[in-house]
Parts: sequence; structure tokens; C-alpha cells
Amino acid sequence: MFLAAFSPKESDEVSRDATLVHKLLRRDVSAFEEIYERHSRIVYSLVLRILRQGSTAEEVVQDVFLQLWRNSGQYDAHRGPFVPWLLTLARNRALDQLRLKGERQRRREDQTEELPQIAAAAPEYERALDEKRRAERVRSLMSSLPAAQKKAIELAYFEGLSHSEIAAALNEPLGTVKSWIRNGLLRLKESLQATS
Amino acid sequence: MSNHDQFRELIQGYALGALDAQERAAMESHLASGCDECSKALEEARWLVSQLAYLAPGAEPSEMLKGRLLQTVRAEAGTSATPQATVRGAAVPWWMWAGVAALLVFSMYSTWNARKLQNEITALREQAKRQTQERAKLEQEMAAAKIQAHEAMIWSDPKSVKITMPAKDPNMPQLEAMWHPEMGIVVRGWKMPSLREKRVLQLWLIPKKPGGKPMPAMTFWPDADGKFSAMVENPPDVMSDTQALAITEEPVGGSAQPTSTPMWVGGVS
Repeated sequence: MFLAAFSPKESDEVSRDATLVHKLLRRDVSAFEEIYERHSRIVYSLVLRILRQGSTAEEVVQDVFLQLWRNSGQYDAHRGPFVPWLLTLARNRALDQLRLKGERQRRREDQTEELPQIAAAAPEYERALDEKRRAERVRSLMSSLPAAQKKAIELAYFEGLSHSEIAAALNEPLGTVKSWIRNGLLRLKESLQATS
Repeated sequence: MSNHDQFRELIQGYALGALDAQERAAMESHLASGCDECSKALEEARWLVSQLAYLAPGAEPSEMLKGRLLQTVRAEAGTSATPQATVRGAAVPWWMWAGVAALLVFSMYSTWNARKLQNEITALREQAKRQTQERAKLEQEMAAAKIQAHEAMIWSDPKSVKITMPAKDPNMPQLEAMWHPEMGIVVRGWKMPSLREKRVLQLWLIPKKPGGKPMPAMTFWPDADGKFSAMVENPPDVMSDTQALAITEEPVGGSAQPTSTPMWVGGVS
């Protein structure tokens, strides 16, 4: 079963994040510090990969964590696990920055502040794999894909390109690019399920 | 053909933010219509998309960033001391016990009040959900209006080249296309027959280059009245390198190469 409701048996990591974010509502600085220690590395890695400039990446990461501190009520633990929510926030901020700086012209609309709902219930395999093993699994699956397919997925995720823009950039048919991205994500799902 | 099947094909692209305007507007309209299955599939796809962050090479932010953040956070929390540096001492003054008693009374009141607030929150959430759906509908209408305006510009601009697309089957209607070198291609048709289950029409660009493969441009389907107007904002090739436009019937989601004989073909002059 792909989706399962959050339960008291959910992983300690997910539960710990939810507890810490809850403490932010009470302006608990030590909770903020712990969240930063736990997740700043992956957030910074993601933002740096998108922006490719350390100083700008640090500004965006600072914005992300300050938004979390000032508006922690935006995160609702009943609507999904914390880390995917934080990563979505960081990606949106980084792509906005990319657009603002004119490094890439793209047409993202109305996705800045209102974050989408991540899985209302964590997939079973999120709980079955710890973060490190899940990261290894994601990297392993992506490196097993043909180079062009991997490139298409990276252009969509890290550059914020649309299907048409990717097709033009790779000089490949639009239908092929759509299939690559869809099938790539479906294979990622199978890969993560297989290890749970 | 079920709308639902068409949209399931688009969910991964939508979660990545990779759909073009027309598909995105159609997807949002479908979600706003309240399709639970697609909404759940979208949540799952968004979770999967978030996992792609682990492809980023590992990097460490500087200690200065942490220092700046903690300085700001402590200032905003109204303290620069660590949370552990709290009350110390053996004696508890009487007024603190009085405060505890007051807190107990307050917590009982809070429990009662929390229930009341919970009901109000539930009602507000329902209201917010309705407003979100209304907003999505309005955004979809705006997006559709933008697309219609873009199509009208292509159709009327003197730089656009008209392409007549006669049908291979004499019982089928003739289609018309306009190709603008900068704004894209619009194809329109009327009195179209219904498509078979799980089939769509797909537009192809036939290159002039000998041996060149047809390039897929987009998929579309006529409405209940047999009309359609489809636009390709970014054609996969330029007009001067294209010999003809062709339309075939393909499975939902489109094909990388045609799987059936073209039903309509129009030469690009």
C-alpha cells in the first residue's frame, strides 16, 4: 500500500521533526537550532545545486529557515512529513531566486508562498528507509537511467524547465521527454518500494 | 476516453512544475473539480519529486550562516540566553504557587474553549477549501482566456502562414492551421467525429530533411460539439525546415513516433 496514515509507530525521525516544529510555535530557540543542525546540509546542497553560487545559496537558505522560524504554523504535521515540505519550500525559493536574477526565464506562477500538500500520509517506504539509505537509493536509481533521461529529470527539477523547454534543450521530441520524466519517477517509486 | 486517464498521465509533470500552460490549466481544472484519486496521486508524486533533492552533491553551509541565523532568531525570541539558563534556586515563592493555581483554572477554561475553537476551525477550513476551489477555477478561466487570446493573435497576425489540412477520408472535415514564426502554431477543426476510447489526436511536424523522423508536437481531442482549437507555443522545429503538418490518432499520452496512418496532412509552403 503506497499511502498509510501517520500512526504512533511512525519513525522516530519524522516524529522528532514534528515535535521540534511544534516547539517553534513557542519560540523555542534550541528547537530551531536542532532543526537547523538536522536539515541545513541537505537544504543547502539542494539550493546550491540550483543556484551554483555559494553566497546566493546561503542567502536563500537563510530566508528558508527564517520563514520556518517566523511562520512555523504554515507546516501542518497532519498534512505530511516535514523534510519533503522543507525541501519543497527550499526548491521554490531557489527557483524564484534563479528567475529574479534573470539567470533563467521561466514561467512559474503563484507557487511562492502557498506550498502544495505533500503526501497527507507518508509512504510506507519513507518510514522503512532512513534518510541516508533513501538518498543512496535515489542516487543509485538515477545513475541507472540513460544519460538523456537523467538529464531531462534534472533539468525539470533543478532548473525548473518545462517539458517543451527540455525538449528544445535536448533536441528530443516532446513526447519522448514526457515519457522519460514520467517513467523515471515511476521507476524511482518502484525502487524505493522495493527496499521497504 | 476518460478525462481521468488523460490527467493521470500528466500528474508527474505537474508535480515537477514542468507542464506547459495549457496542460497545467487543464490539470488544475480537473483537480478543482474534486477528483480524489488524482489528488492522492499528486500528493504521492510531490513526495517523490521532493526526494530528487538527494541528487544534489553534498555541501556544507558555512558556520557564519548558522551564527547569523541564531543571532536573528535569539533577538526575535526576546532572549540571547540559552534556554537552559532558566530559573535556579531551591525556594519557590508563594506567588508562584498562586500562579500555578491560576494556570490550572485557566487550563480548564482553555480545554472548554479549545473544543469550541476546534469547531470554528473546522468550519473555517471548509470555507477556505471552498474558496481555494473557487480561486483555482478562476485561475483556470484566466489561463484559458490567455490561451484564447494567444491563439487569436496567431490566427489574425499577418505574419502567420495558413496551412490547409485536407482529410484522407472524404467523409472527414478539412482542418485549418496557422503558423506564426515566433508565436507558434494553432490548429482548428469543426464537425469532428468522436474519438475511440483512450485515443487522442497527435500533431506531427514532418521535416524536409530526407529520412528525418516526424516530430511530435502535442496531443488534443475535440469537445462534445466536435470542435477543437489546439496551440503549440514552442514547435519542435522551425517552419523553413518543415515539409508538412500531419495528424494521427494515438493512445492517450501520445506516442514518440506515429503508430497509425495520418488522417490529415497539410503542406507547409
